[in-house]
This record gives sequence, C-alpha cells and structure tokens, in this order.
Amino acid sequence: MLLNRSIAFMMKPIDPRVNRLPGFGQGSIQPKAPLDQLGTYEVFVQAKEGKPFQHEGIVHASDIELAYILAKETFTRRFTCVSLYVTETRDVYVSPLTDGQTSSYELLPPATAGNGPTEAYEVYHLVKRGKQHVHVGEVMASSPQEAMHSAKEKFGAGKVVYNVWVIRKSNIRYTNEADKDLWLTLPEKKYRDAADYKAGDKLTAFLERVKHSV
Amino acid sequence: MNELALKELLYKIADDQLILGHRNSEWTGFGPLLEEDIAFSSMAQDKVGQSYAIYQMLNQLGEQEPDTVAFMRNANQFHNCQLVELPNGEYDFSLIRHFLYDTAEITRFDFLANSSYEPLAQLARKIKGELKYHTLHANTWIKKLGNATEESIGRLQGSLNKALPYALGIFEPSPLEQEIIASGFFAGEEVLKKQWMEKVELLLSQTQLNLPDWKTIQPVLGGRVGQHTEHLQPLLDEMSEVFRIDPSAEW
Repeated sequence: MLLNRSIAFMMKPIDPRVNRLPGFGQGSIQPKAPLDQLGTYEVFVQAKEGKPFQHEGIVHASDIELAYILAKETFTRRFTCVSLYVTETRDVYVSPLTDGQTSSYELLPPATAGNGPTEAYEVYHLVKRGKQHVHVGEVMASSPQEAMHSAKEKFGAGKVVYNVWVIRKSNIRYTNEADKDLWLTLPEKKYRDAADYKAGDKLTAFLERVKHSV
Repeated sequence: MNELALKELLYKIADDQLILGHRNSEWTGFGPLLEEDIAFSSMAQDKVGQSYAIYQMLNQLGEQEPDTVAFMRNANQFHNCQLVELPNGEYDFSLIRHFLYDTAEITRFDFLANSSYEPLAQLARKIKGELKYHTLHANTWIKKLGNATEESIGRLQGSLNKALPYALGIFEPSPLEQEIIASGFFAGEEVLKKQWMEKVELLLSQTQLNLPDWKTIQPVLGGRVGQHTEHLQPLLDEMSEVFRIDPSAEW
C-alpha cells in the first residue's frame, strides 16, 4: 500500500489539470511553480421556458467567453435547453452548509453592509440532497453577505435550505435573447440519446431470429 | 425547375458538410481538453446531420438513399472542396480550417435562407442557430489564440498560410453556376466569396495574424468536379467500412 502511494507520488499525471503531491526528501529550494491549469467556471442551465435555471456543473476555460462556448456543448448537447449562463467559480458566494433540520439561512454570520453600490444578485438554493442548486430569484445588495440576508428575508421563510449561493449579476455571462436559437434543433438530436437506439430491442429481435433459424 | 443545377448545388453543399464532419469527428477522444473535445465532436455531428438533411432532399429529387449516396460513392464522385478532405494535422490547422470553412458556411446558408427551392430555404432557417454556435466557437478560439503567445500565433499563422489556397477553393464555380443563380437557388460563389473575404479580414484584424494579399493566393480548385487529393479515398474507405459489411443492416 505504502509502496503504491510512493509510486503514485512519483508518477507524472497524464491529465495536466491533476496535481500530485511532490516527492518527499528530494529537490532543491525553488520558487513555487505557477499553476499550469485553466480556471473553473460554473454553468447554469434553463431546460425549458418557465423552468428555473439550475447548476449543471463546471468547465475549465481561460476566460468567461470561452467558458460560455465550452459550457454549451458540455452541458446542453442533449435533450432540451433554452438558455444558459456561466460565471467564474470564485464569483459564487456560498453560505454555511447544514446537514440537519436547521436551514442554512440560520447559520449566516451577522449582516455587514458593503461599501460598494447596490447591485443585483442571482440567488440559488439547494433544497434536496444530492441534487443541484436551483435558481429562486434575485435580490439587491451592496455585498454578497448582505445579499444572503436579503435572500433570507425574501426566499428563506418556512423551509430548510441546505445551502445558498449568491452571484453578482454583473459577473455573469448570460445568453441574450437573440441567441436563444442556439438550441432550436436540439430536441431533434435524438441520436445523442443512447436510449433512442433501442439497442436492447434490436438485440432481442436478433436473438429471436437466430433461435428460429437454428 | 432546373433539377440538374439544383442537384449540383445540393451535392456540393452536402458533400462539404459530410466530409468535414467526418474529419472533425476524428478528434473525438483526442481534443486538447475535455470540454473542447466534446464541443468539436458535437459540431462534427451537426455537420453530418446537415449533410443527411440535404441527401434526403436529393433522395426526394430521385437520387439514391442518403446512406447509399454517402457510403457507396468513390472519391471522384464527390463534389466537396479539397479544403475539407485535408488531414486534421495538429489542432491549429483544424481550428483555422474550422474558422475559414464555417465563416463561408454560415454566409452560404444566409443566402440559402432566401433560396427559391423552399426545402433548402427552410433548412437554412432551421439550422441558423447551429451555424451561429459553430462560428462563435471558431471566432472565439481564433481571437484568443491569435493574440496569446508567440507559439500560438506562429502556429495559427503557419496553418492559415497553408489553408488559404484551399479555402479559396470553396468558391470554385459549379459547372452549372449560371443556371443555379438564374434559377434563384443560390446567389452564386462569387458573391459568397466577397462576403467571406470581408468577414475573414474583419476577424483576423482583431488578432496578431497576418492575412496575405488575396491576389497572391492561388486557389486550389478541382474538388467541385471530382478532382481530389490523395487523402479523400482513404477517408471514404474508413467512413464506409462498417456500412459496406452489410448495407442492408438496420442501425
């Protein structure tokens, strides 16, 4: 086991985004190496008109525009989509997590008013374990901390919210109305859905034919 | 309706889409990063899907089934331009080809949205969003890498110089060019080329890449009349390998 771990430390990872611990007891004093990996961006998707946006995952990209481009095919290449947006991971402010019956809103530190101008924030809730954060609305605030408290007043009553995210709208790359046709043909791309090939049915039919031909 | 001219137009568009779709799909599993691998593969799939839609139109006009047309012809029966059949090379070449070709493609389909052949006009309007994404993807990468490092700029410049003569081959007039224009099927390659040049100039002016004087670039022609590089037949052999085992199989 120990030997395996030592070997793992020495191996250069194939994926450049994976950093392994350095080897022990070797090397010289050197400046810290810069990261050789791209930053991460959070992806939020609206599957249908009228449905809320929800967090779908993360992409690596060098900037927010490229993140938008890559998010589109990484997370919306199947089924339906009418809009998506992306924001840098560090621009998502996260409330304390809760694992019991206490709502995350009850664990917020005292509100601190920001010095900056009042801005709009998107608010996301995690209300089911193992599921995604889902959009619940917008608030106006002068800091992310204040946005959390505003969200508590506006959306926090009467339910357990396991986690809250707030994101400055000015830090989001949205899909504009004119570009909603990016997904116009998506529902027709059934060939991207493995279930559409009905491989099981075809295999059964093939086996039946073989059985009867023997 | 001049059916011969219409078929000529449909074949060259569909063949371009199919061959480049197949070429780009060769990057699946080898893309420079996972997200880009997925994006490039999806766009490749879009192109094959667009070719299928046009082969279906040809089938309606009396040509053979789409699968037969796609998989059973030899290289000299294909009407694609030579640009799309060139090997992928390194990713810089594939990106430059993607940019040059897709800029022409979206411009062509903008014209086709007003085609007198209604099925083609409908298809052009329907896939506008797909093509918009393809050019957004290409333009974003070219602007990013065309302004990034000495290596990225140098690589793109080398690929641009190599691809441009072939890119001009996209606009090789069809043998029935005048009939195609007169019938209102399409505005014609010359008009398309003019708009394409303007778009290419505009995008490249936002990068550190140099566009040579157009007059110094000798177009590589022949694809539209079935003359191809040595790279097309091996591509077709590989693409049709499974289909030819059992052409009647249902997939």
